[in-house]
Amino acid sequence: MNTDGNDVLPDTTYTTRHRIMARKRIKVSRRMLFAWFILGGFILLFTPQSVTNKFQFAFANIFRWPLSIGRGISLSVSMRPATGGLTNPLGTRENQYQNHIANLQEQLRQEHRKLEELSGLRSRFAFEGAAFVLADISRTVTDGSHAELFINRGENDGLAKGQFVMADNSIIGTISDISPRMAKVRLITDSDSKIEVKIAGANRLMEGIGNNSAKIRQLLRKKHKVKIGDNVFAIKKPGLLDAPMITAKVARCERDDENPLGWDITVEPACEIETIKDVAVIVMNPQK
Amino acid sequence: MHWFRFAVLVCIVTVLQAGFLANLDIKPDLLLTLLVFFAVYCNTTEAIITSFVLGFAADIIGYAMGPQTISFGLLGTALAYLHRVIAIRKMSYQALTIFLTCFLAGIVVHFLTFLKGRPTCSDMYAVLFWTSLCSAIVGPFLFSPYAWLMRMKINRFC
Repeated sequence: MNTDGNDVLPDTTYTTRHRIMARKRIKVSRRMLFAWFILGGFILLFTPQSVTNKFQFAFANIFRWPLSIGRGISLSVSMRPATGGLTNPLGTRENQYQNHIANLQEQLRQEHRKLEELSGLRSRFAFEGAAFVLADISRTVTDGSHAELFINRGENDGLAKGQFVMADNSIIGTISDISPRMAKVRLITDSDSKIEVKIAGANRLMEGIGNNSAKIRQLLRKKHKVKIGDNVFAIKKPGLLDAPMITAKVARCERDDENPLGWDITVEPACEIETIKDVAVIVMNPQK
Repeated sequence: MHWFRFAVLVCIVTVLQAGFLANLDIKPDLLLTLLVFFAVYCNTTEAIITSFVLGFAADIIGYAMGPQTISFGLLGTALAYLHRVIAIRKMSYQALTIFLTCFLAGIVVHFLTFLKGRPTCSDMYAVLFWTSLCSAIVGPFLFSPYAWLMRMKINRFC
């Protein structure tokens, strides 16, 4: 009872009633909840990839240790035999040497051409001013048509979009997205990947098709002699690649159904991408 | 529902899926098995929330953001409402539910990825089939550890 003679509710009842009211106030119907979430999903879907990538980079950055440990265990569990297959008939070490020899031969050819063209003008050797930024693979994203890697180097280490990434002395992809501390590498087998390559003396476009392979078309069967096991080189690109580098090897060579006069060439990466643990990013003319 | 436990469980499963299972050719979709688990053993509101959160987690470790959030959300919600009519308690029913949900979610994801202007793989149905089958085989056996981690009781009859 208060001074006016009215009943006063105890404090506990007052707070409980408030709590119930507050709970009622924030209650959202299931339909509204669903509608909000769906709207959020569609906003995510149509937001540019460059913005939404930040979520993926943040996850890869926060969980980089468990992710790399998990990948390491997974690689050791699913370790493939050292021999067999087109890209790795002799084992990783020998494969690296073979790729290196192929690169040197192509560089030598390029130097000869330069020498003939310039005859006396000063030039510099390929990759003389380049830096190779070593990076660990945080995680891989592969789902049939897509093949990407997350690496633990970013803008802070001098990396930029479009730079070539190599492993076992061969080009495996390019940097597609970047954050200050991480970068996403689009592999040559990704269905979004398009790289200009040199095969049988001709420059053509190599398009990734997923499932660890890529396609090269528009080569005439009469003019270009291509056989299984031939090397495919990524051609030089000013500011990104100084000299041609091996990127793939011909795995299948058939008549093109759409164009009977042409080749339908399927290539596979020059190294076993699934088993690599670290990569090197080619940074031409790095800022010191 | 213990939301903190849920957050920890989602983190563990996401890291496992992105790290340990990433290099396998045929792998189960652990996040999807988790989606079916919550749709079957939680109330409808909780199932809706968990479906979208799991979809978001799947997008973070996936190729593009958005498609899996939408597909997981849609199918998780549908499954939660379906569960109000049909009880999915037998292991065989749960396996079948996982298989169908995984297959349908894959189709919706590919459609949305295509809508986003991204290329999709040519042998999509083969990949989807094997992933669904693998998830359906492994999934029901994971429900017990999930329930233990979430401190939930599951009444299951085989």
